[in-house]
Amino acid sequence: MTAVPASPLPVATPRGEALLRDLAALNLAASCEPADLWAASRDAWPRALLWTKAGTAPHPPDVVAWPADAEQVAAVVKFAAGREIPVVPVGGGSGICGGAVPVRGGIALDLKRLTAPLRIDLPARTALVGAGLNGQRLAELLDAQGATLGHHPSSIYAATVGGWLATRSAGQLSSKYGKIEDMVIAVEAVDGTGALLHTLDGPSAGPDLTQLLVGSEGTLGIITSARLRIWPRPLRRWLRGVRFPSVQHGLRAIRAVLRAGLRPSVARLSDPLDSLLAAAHGPQLPQSLKWVVLGARAEALHVALRAPLLLNRLVDALPKAALFVVGFDGDSEDDCAEEGEAALAICQSDDGEDLGPAPGEKWFANRYAASYRGSPLFSAGAFVDMLDVATTWDRVAALDAAVRRAVSPHAFTLATFTHAALEGCAIEFTLVGLAGATAEEIARSSRDDAETDLEEAEDRHDACWSAALGAVADGGATLSHHSGIGLARQVLLPREHGEGMRQLRALKKAFDPHGILNPGKLLL
Amino acid sequence: MNANLREDLAATSAAVVEEAQGGFRVTPPSIASLGRAVAVVRAWKLRLRVRGSGDAPVHAPQDGVLLDVGSLDRIASVDGATGIARVEAGCSLGALEAAARRAGCTLGPLLPSVRAGSVGAWLAGPTRGERGIPGARRETAALSVAAVLADGRIAESRAAPRSATGPDLDHLALGGSGRLCVVAAAWIRLFPMAPALASRWTCPSLPTAVLALERICLDRNAPARARVVAGGEGARLALAWEGLETAPMERDRAARTLGSLGLVQDAEQGANAWVREPSGGHPIEVDARWASLRGWSQQGEMQLLGMHAGGAFATLALSDARGAEEAAALARAAGARVIAPRRIRDSGPAWDALGAGAVWKRLIEALGVEEAQP
Repeated sequence: MTAVPASPLPVATPRGEALLRDLAALNLAASCEPADLWAASRDAWPRALLWTKAGTAPHPPDVVAWPADAEQVAAVVKFAAGREIPVVPVGGGSGICGGAVPVRGGIALDLKRLTAPLRIDLPARTALVGAGLNGQRLAELLDAQGATLGHHPSSIYAATVGGWLATRSAGQLSSKYGKIEDMVIAVEAVDGTGALLHTLDGPSAGPDLTQLLVGSEGTLGIITSARLRIWPRPLRRWLRGVRFPSVQHGLRAIRAVLRAGLRPSVARLSDPLDSLLAAAHGPQLPQSLKWVVLGARAEALHVALRAPLLLNRLVDALPKAALFVVGFDGDSEDDCAEEGEAALAICQSDDGEDLGPAPGEKWFANRYAASYRGSPLFSAGAFVDMLDVATTWDRVAALDAAVRRAVSPHAFTLATFTHAALEGCAIEFTLVGLAGATAEEIARSSRDDAETDLEEAEDRHDACWSAALGAVADGGATLSHHSGIGLARQVLLPREHGEGMRQLRALKKAFDPHGILNPGKLLL
Repeated sequence: MNANLREDLAATSAAVVEEAQGGFRVTPPSIASLGRAVAVVRAWKLRLRVRGSGDAPVHAPQDGVLLDVGSLDRIASVDGATGIARVEAGCSLGALEAAARRAGCTLGPLLPSVRAGSVGAWLAGPTRGERGIPGARRETAALSVAAVLADGRIAESRAAPRSATGPDLDHLALGGSGRLCVVAAAWIRLFPMAPALASRWTCPSLPTAVLALERICLDRNAPARARVVAGGEGARLALAWEGLETAPMERDRAARTLGSLGLVQDAEQGANAWVREPSGGHPIEVDARWASLRGWSQQGEMQLLGMHAGGAFATLALSDARGAEEAAALARAAGARVIAPRRIRDSGPAWDALGAGAVWKRLIEALGVEEAQP
């Protein structure tokens, strides 16, 4: 038996080496080094993490290029269009849907060098930002000038501004500041012929080109910079935890808070299990649930995840209380407290119990942690996936129940109701299921065994994911609230758009007549 | 050709009238009929204009078709609790507002030309259905659009507060004047009804009044409505907020800002009515940045709504009997885009000005909405 090699990195192909020479002639930094090809072959899609565990990279690009400016992006696209070579824009690699996986090879265009221009104009409330700028770096640069974008997704440490725009990202303060598509004023982009487009920054007429490019996941154009709406950094933040007797009570209260005109920066309602986990004094949970949610010994996790139905029934037996974390930003303590107290009064009128600031502050301190907890579970033989969907208030409870029911035989489920708006909200489901062998076992196994294990893991993940997406589509909800479609969700895109798929294909023909931009995504 | 075309149009179940100056007026009685009529028009590669009501095209283009969606005026549902209405494109905003109010909701402040029109005209028109929302932002009122494609089939987006399922396809209909697809129906976002709280201020000058208004929008305390007129030693400014719990908070916070800018608060009595008083003379409507509004402010009266950090929709009226053309010329000189009256509307830069002229041509072709040149 031959053990799986420690670094089964992709190797340069003849096409890649030829492209490398062509790109060098265009004065582009580029590479066919195995480590670079591997890094650009995946993003944070759970399926890609399973590939990594199995020591395989099934979709490497032929070459990776690092353009320095929009003109170089245009030059690469023009070159690729003439030869019908796929061009896949790459940002921080934090996408969870496989949107940056170069399924047809070609050129992975890593945009992280596009950090210029950076012009912060706080008096005008705008910032002109290069698409490759890292989210956290942008937050720091704005902070240094007393400004904020108000966009704080848990991917912030890895993601780029261009990635946010390409996937219609949402931050944790979206109820107040909106999603990234609400923050963008104008973009510069390169279409599939290599032409530079500049959308309008000001009153304009006709269909809004910006909103057609934003969210297109690099299939219509490559965004190279954007003008964004910024705000003065709030000087104070008011946070509270409120315990409701049930999720239904909590949902009613969120609606009432928003209908009162209040715009909390944070409004997150956790399901009963998540609420127990968030308890300030530590969760009182059955042991099997602790194995799953707190990261546990691999053997115990395996045993627990073999019976997801049982785990979900254990959750059903838990107390029904739901924790609502609500927060308000403002320029003074009085302003924040004024809005906070008004929200609190509304919550209390629906049996909400004020738990004080501790639960809110605990959440705030750990607000980015969720995205970085998955790796130990993957190593221990599980998969963890996140499904963010959205619908109108009248359908939220039914959607929650339907997804849980569909997923229950396949995975253990947690949910948070968040990104609340006047007419509805998003639900973020966390799905934890059994994948296969542990990383340690894989490292000791043969290539054949690793491949078999990967196939089984992919089948299990598929079964869970298909059940969940099917329930979302059946419930009339949108398949993605803020993570895009990528490879993970595109199979049900025709159910989402219906005849709109033909509009989508027409847009593809118009913006990318050679079909080279991120092919294989959005079913394009 | 006309006989064959008339026959094809009549087969869609729509009422067909040949207009004196050429072209046909086609009035479909249902969305299915609208779909069939659009398919006929597109198959014949005719020029197509869409009429809802209010400030919309009245006549068919020569050798083309005017699609009158006025008969598609049903309000399928108004859900006051969720704040959503499902309506057909020809429904007048007056009727929708009345239905919304019965359910404890409202469409919020809208430009007069918009309010006089239909849902379809609002969404496909120059404002793209946008209106101000709390926090000094703008948002389209369309939660979801049902649009007729060139072959008559209907594309309808999911009614969700936000989504990330590719580009926002509703934006092929919003602001498109029916050129890429025709709005057949929509889910419309409604605001909860709330009493307005107004305040009135005296300012040293008209530009100062606009500057003060801009400042409170930059502080995210944007009012739902505002009015600026010359008066006293300089200018009078009135503002009204409409959030149920937030109106008094925002009014008081704005008062701190306005006071710090040297404005003097007047008696509140009558302010709420005053801020809504229709403009006299020959008003025009614009979409403008704050600098443009400041530039225009010395010319006459302004009523503002849809205020956001970058600018506002405004009704502008010259202080004497000068006509709309003159007001529009002054507004354009200040950098504003004229929305109404329709006869002097600025079409605005087309996609070629954005470097996307070739994209537009390919899009027209791919969507099958090419029109033969007259």
